[in-house]
Amino acid sequence: MHSELPREVAGSPEVKPVVEFHKVSKWYGNVIGVNKLSIRIPAGVTGLLGPNGAGKSTLLQLATGQLFPSQGSVRVLGQEVWNNTAMNRLIGLCPEQDAFYEWMTGWDFIYTCARLGGLPRADAKDAAARTLDAVGMFKHKDRSVRGYSKGMRQRTKLAQALVHDPEVLFLDEPFTGTDPVARRDLMEIIRKLGAEGKSVLVSSHVLHEVHTLTPNIILLNRGRLVAEGQVREIRDLIDKHPHHIVLVCDEYRKLAGRVLTWDDVEGVRVLNRDKGLMVETRSPDKFYSRLPQLSLEDGLSIKEVYSDDDNLEAVFKYLVNK
Amino acid sequence: MKDVATLESSHSASPGHRATGGFSWIALWTLYTLTFRQHMHGRRWIVMGVLFLLPPGLAVLIRATAPDAPSIVTEFLLAFLLIPQALLPLIALVYASGIIQDEQEDQTLTYLLIRPIPRWAIYVVKLLATLTTTVLLTTIFTVLMYAAIYLGSEASFNTIVRRCSIAIAIHGLAVVAYCCLFGLIGLYTKRALIAGILYTAVIEGLLANLPFGLRFVTIIYYARIGAYRSMDFIFTRNGRDHNVAAETWQIDVKKDPELLDHPQLLTCVIVLAGASLVFAVIGALMCARREFHVKTPEGS
Repeated sequence: MHSELPREVAGSPEVKPVVEFHKVSKWYGNVIGVNKLSIRIPAGVTGLLGPNGAGKSTLLQLATGQLFPSQGSVRVLGQEVWNNTAMNRLIGLCPEQDAFYEWMTGWDFIYTCARLGGLPRADAKDAAARTLDAVGMFKHKDRSVRGYSKGMRQRTKLAQALVHDPEVLFLDEPFTGTDPVARRDLMEIIRKLGAEGKSVLVSSHVLHEVHTLTPNIILLNRGRLVAEGQVREIRDLIDKHPHHIVLVCDEYRKLAGRVLTWDDVEGVRVLNRDKGLMVETRSPDKFYSRLPQLSLEDGLSIKEVYSDDDNLEAVFKYLVNK
Repeated sequence: MKDVATLESSHSASPGHRATGGFSWIALWTLYTLTFRQHMHGRRWIVMGVLFLLPPGLAVLIRATAPDAPSIVTEFLLAFLLIPQALLPLIALVYASGIIQDEQEDQTLTYLLIRPIPRWAIYVVKLLATLTTTVLLTTIFTVLMYAAIYLGSEASFNTIVRRCSIAIAIHGLAVVAYCCLFGLIGLYTKRALIAGILYTAVIEGLLANLPFGLRFVTIIYYARIGAYRSMDFIFTRNGRDHNVAAETWQIDVKKDPELLDHPQLLTCVIVLAGASLVFAVIGALMCARREFHVKTPEGS
């Protein structure tokens, strides 16, 4: 499914996108990384969502000029990125892989990255100190990277992406493996970067993480664009498709017979073990509105109602499993 | 943790660095020192150091157990057989075949690809750092070996210095050529170590020792002729002169005493330097056009 949703900003042709993919395909031999992808990512924070293997990392590697598109064109800040060395001064990447020059200290690593970014010695020292401080790693700067926890490593990776003061940041699964504190801190940093006017593209396979950061999301699956736009719009899209709502009730078989009479119910599955039903409907709001009356009129005591589709995680799963 | 205002101030630290375009000499120098540090870090250089201590160790052993053995023969065996035939290809293979591949395997190549350094320059700079490392190690251990062979011998200091300098120059040229070749092989195949060992054994080991034209394509042939034309390897035993190099290297000095069938010293230097340059340029061109796939977890 590819949903062309009217994006409030990116979709407007008059607004220049920060990142633009035009009919981009990328093949690795017979394997498709991304497939005929056309997206316009606006300034600000955007979430890139998809399960493992969706093509998120391929997209980010294309956007950072590491990969050459098999078809189509990739532009960042209006410029082609492949073999565009100057562009690397304007972009930063926090890669997914947990890889470092392990023998370095945190300071050494960030300072080296600053120098690799072309900063003169004094500027590199200032930038390294400030960036390490910004990600909360300054106090650990003299420890070997090898001894860092996962959260510390993710912070350090973020620091190397920031150290040369890029205008556009690409963060590939920056929260993976982090503890709740690190996750909260990293989210706070990303939010601040967005507030500063940086453009940030954050990839994740957890919708909640991205939803916490931004309402703007891009959904990928199997290398294809599944949906893009505001979370609310995507939610609206979901409402056009069946929702799965679970009702827990002692008299679940009687309840099944009752709800099956409703036109908007497309199917019911009995969950014997849970003493409940899984109802499939395309009109969740209508369905929910009938439930109180059902309990009153029929005396069916519904103990619990929940929907897999009620949270954004489920929405995401629903979309990508299409 | 900094607040937004502090982050903003930090990012205004160095506005000037953007103005210099895509090419950054600072970045290149940093990459050079980074690669040099990588080479000098860990167990690899210790292993190479131990291997390169073998010739000086053997020299000491020979002098201790066979004090009458001519120093020139010991020098020839160690400096012009063991080192160019085995140790130089080995050190070049260990350091140069992984110039890009090691970074790819360690998944650190990404940190280089996203910097203002052209792809070809990543290869060239890392190769230059590798050449520095290998030439430096070769020089140090060649000096040690010459000290072990000649110190306390009848040879004059000037002679020792001259012969040692020539050996260093020839070893340097050979190791540079090997590095450039193995660096290129490392770009072609992930099994560069196996390919390099096979190349060393078959081409440099076998073909170079056959008195046919095929040896003209080997690095070691030019190193040998360069050595032969630069210094003598003649020792006297039982009143007869023996040319250990000519006998061992299949150089027919009886038929061709002027070595007319063999290249001149300058030609040897030009061939070795030229071949190195060609290998390096091909490698750089390959890198300029090439994508480097860095593994990502779970193929995301």
